[in-house]
Amino acid sequence: MKLLYSFLKDMQLSLKGFYIYIEIGFALVFVAVMLLAVPEYFEPKVTVYAHLDLEGPYQAAAEESLTQEGYDIILLPSREEVETELANDRGSVGLAVGLEDGRIVYDYILQGYEDEKFRNIIKTSIESGFAAEMPGYENVTTVTTLEGNVEKLSDRLNMLPVFLALNAAFMGLFIIASYIFLDKEEGTIRAFAVTPAKVWHYLLGKVGVILVTGLLSGLIAAAFIAGLKAHYLHLILLLIATNVFGSALGLFIASFFNTMTKAMGWLYMSIIVLAFAAVSYYNPAFSPLIIRILPSYPMLFAFRETLYEAGNLGYIYANVLGFTLAGVVFFLLSNWRFKKTLTV
Amino acid sequence: MIRVEGLYHSYSHNEKYAVRDASFEIAKGEVFGFLGPSGAGKSTTQGVMTGLLPLQKGNVTVAGYDVKKAPRAMFNKIGVSFEQSNVYGKLTGLENLEFYRRLFDVPTRDPKELLELVGLDHVATQRAGEYSKGMKHRLTFARSMLNSPEMWFLDEPTTGLDPAIASVIKEIVKGEKEKGTTVFLTTHNMFVADELCDRVAFIIDGEIKLIDSPRNLKLQHGEQLVEVEYRDNGDVKKERLSFIDEKDMHHLNDIVNSGKVEMMHTKEATLEEIFIKVTGKGLQ
Repeated sequence: MKLLYSFLKDMQLSLKGFYIYIEIGFALVFVAVMLLAVPEYFEPKVTVYAHLDLEGPYQAAAEESLTQEGYDIILLPSREEVETELANDRGSVGLAVGLEDGRIVYDYILQGYEDEKFRNIIKTSIESGFAAEMPGYENVTTVTTLEGNVEKLSDRLNMLPVFLALNAAFMGLFIIASYIFLDKEEGTIRAFAVTPAKVWHYLLGKVGVILVTGLLSGLIAAAFIAGLKAHYLHLILLLIATNVFGSALGLFIASFFNTMTKAMGWLYMSIIVLAFAAVSYYNPAFSPLIIRILPSYPMLFAFRETLYEAGNLGYIYANVLGFTLAGVVFFLLSNWRFKKTLTV
Repeated sequence: MIRVEGLYHSYSHNEKYAVRDASFEIAKGEVFGFLGPSGAGKSTTQGVMTGLLPLQKGNVTVAGYDVKKAPRAMFNKIGVSFEQSNVYGKLTGLENLEFYRRLFDVPTRDPKELLELVGLDHVATQRAGEYSKGMKHRLTFARSMLNSPEMWFLDEPTTGLDPAIASVIKEIVKGEKEKGTTVFLTTHNMFVADELCDRVAFIIDGEIKLIDSPRNLKLQHGEQLVEVEYRDNGDVKKERLSFIDEKDMHHLNDIVNSGKVEMMHTKEATLEEIFIKVTGKGLQ
């Protein structure tokens, strides 16, 4: 019962403060930006101004190829006109295709700011597209994926796990510490310490407030962005496990300091380090061990699994279990440390 | 009710002690004053006794519990009023008390009754953050009474209060003493100590210099004189006469019998004067 009263008091204080409203407001702003400003799929359409100087079947095949490439192709009668259009449209690229000694010659006209990677993509895709349409071309290329039937999320939905991990799960890391230090500053922690209630009642009451806030903000974001696509039971359990882990980690770090100012640097650094996992999440080719061992790394992918139609339940629940256990360990360590340091 | 033996405490965990070799006992129902200037070690001693500071060296027993391994249940028997008000500013006075009362395992007093007792009933539903300093102090004081403590720690209970409210607080302490509550009163206010305490301890630089009742201290250290003002043939005369000298005693008797006494004061020493005499330092 003391735990319940402690939680209810902290909830009451939280509702009379700002943080919970800021957190919910931030979730709503995130939803608004995602729905109103971020497209469902990021497909940057590059306009290609092209001049084709080919003959007979080559000309027809090239035109056919260009319309199938997914580019916004505008055919122009001369190379000069291509250059003029490029000057007017700085996001476009130019292409002049001709025949020289019976061989197709590609002349790419770029703006100058494009990096090597972009140049290679343009070059490869257009040339391979052309080649496939040319008479006598035989396709010997096959593509095989290790994972069959890979489900892809929309680009917008793919951003949700990052919000859930950094905002719903890890924001408590910072906030719970500020709650503790505020109580220390007000001295209310000393008043609590001279009652029969235990330190863990005090700490867990605060974990509860962060959990409610995290669940609220996480579910608001998921409901608006994922709608019925998310598996809410799995998502809620994962949110609970990761949020408790984040709070317990925050408590553990806070237990080494006696003021928010002293703890701030370590807490801030922890969040920044944990956020690095998002780099590998968006760019799986870059997944060094140092990032893969961050708790935020499996967390992001576990959140993503809850958004798939047929998510990997084994992976999700391994994360739920792992983060719950890690949360319990950090909480016990924090409780042990705070017993000695809470009022000193 | 309290036994302290050879208590030492160092914040820097070295030989620089805030409290050094403090020993004393407090009987059940006694009001024990701990007098000393700021930084003398009063709050440190109280901090160790209430479990807010770890017991580093020595033995401390409070309400039958060894504080080194005291269970949380010990706090059902003790109440602590802090020098610095520490209430939840976002909660009302009543909500503050309602919350804390639920943390005890023993029957608690009605928060409304306590607020009325300390004169805060008219602001019971107002946020404590909007209270004046004195009002917050009274709320902190009221909170310490929630569990009707057997052992009551009061740290500067009248500091910052106007004389009328301070008088109310002192009356409450006297009332609780009548009920058998043991009080450990930490203060640098000699008048409060003089009025409330059965015994006082003088602490300076972490060391207890003496322990005795205010009465004994006054008898031991005060002057045995009386100052009398009386009318004699229309003139006001003022004399200082000794209680010990036989001639002075007879003269005082004559003045009193003449019925012309206008003012008469005994000239016993105040606790502050005795403190300065014993420790060589002031209480402020």
